[in-house]
Amino acid sequence: MTAESKRAQWLIFFIIWLVVGALLGVALKAQFRLHTAELPSTRLPELARAYVQEKRTVQAMENEIRQLRQKTTELENALATGTKQTKVLNDSLQAAKMLAGLVEVEGPGIELILRDSERRPTFGSPESQLMELYIIHDYDLLRVVNELRQAGAEAIAINGQRLVATSAIRCVGPVIYVNDIKMASPFVIHAIGDPNTLMGALKTPGGVLSDIIDVDSKMVELHARDKVRIPAYTGSTQFRFAKPVPSEEVAK
Amino acid sequence: MIAIGMLGLLLGLLLAYLVLDIPIPAEWASYLSLAALAGLDTAFGGWRAALEGRFHPDVFVSGFVVNALLASLLAYLGDRMGVDLFLAAVVTLGGRMFLNLSIIRRYYLNQWSLRRTRG
Repeated sequence: MTAESKRAQWLIFFIIWLVVGALLGVALKAQFRLHTAELPSTRLPELARAYVQEKRTVQAMENEIRQLRQKTTELENALATGTKQTKVLNDSLQAAKMLAGLVEVEGPGIELILRDSERRPTFGSPESQLMELYIIHDYDLLRVVNELRQAGAEAIAINGQRLVATSAIRCVGPVIYVNDIKMASPFVIHAIGDPNTLMGALKTPGGVLSDIIDVDSKMVELHARDKVRIPAYTGSTQFRFAKPVPSEEVAK
Repeated sequence: MIAIGMLGLLLGLLLAYLVLDIPIPAEWASYLSLAALAGLDTAFGGWRAALEGRFHPDVFVSGFVVNALLASLLAYLGDRMGVDLFLAAVVTLGGRMFLNLSIIRRYYLNQWSLRRTRG
């Protein structure tokens, strides 16, 4: 082998290693970026599957909670058929459960659908500076709920989530948490109460919905309904911190 | 030979990490890693061939390009078909790399012991 061909051989060897190094570097960098973005590139399909499965399990468990709570109500009723005392006790128990939102209820009411606007203001126009006007926010829902309660709504649910005394409506990133359940537009709000009063309260000029309607009337859909069904609350009913005060202390 | 290879590798790594800034889409990252693995395999193969005195530049370069492309293509095809075909590339390339490295190691060990017995 001549010296020249030997040198050419070494040059090729060097160049290939250089390219391998560069490839490795780019690949490592890409992987590093993926890791910092917390995107496990190869495990995404698995994670998606696990997510769907977990979601289904949660749904099944919520159904079970609903059924079990219904069963307790039935059992309480069956128990109360005996004496008058137990009957009185059970009546007040059922009233308390109604108030707590642990019973599925139905009655006349309204259906209000709030959705993000499909209109997209052209870039650079003055409207595009106010993009947040075109989407439904947590405070929109809060104000609607507040207005409904003020108008005498007896039960309210957002996308099937019953609102109870401990319910929170909170914006987290692109979604809104209601009872710690994630949801996004459209928001279907059901309320039981006098339909006319509820409709009137929501339609008040300058009221809670007028700002949204001014932006895009398609964002709001309001109907009176003869019969609205509102599911029971399926979240936790455990109190970790609050304890009832003993009655003799109250008397003092 | 080692010095040249390592120098090239280091320079390439530095080049990729510091100088070049190629944005790689997330879904391509795994294919690129596989191509890098194939490249590494060919480079080790070339090293071994050079030690055995049967190094052919044309075989070396074509092997490098074709292996890298083939590995990525196979992985891509596997992803489309829902079969983890990239495992085939990883196993084959990984096994060959170990084999080549062991031959390279033995060559240098042999040389070392030869030099010691002579000296």
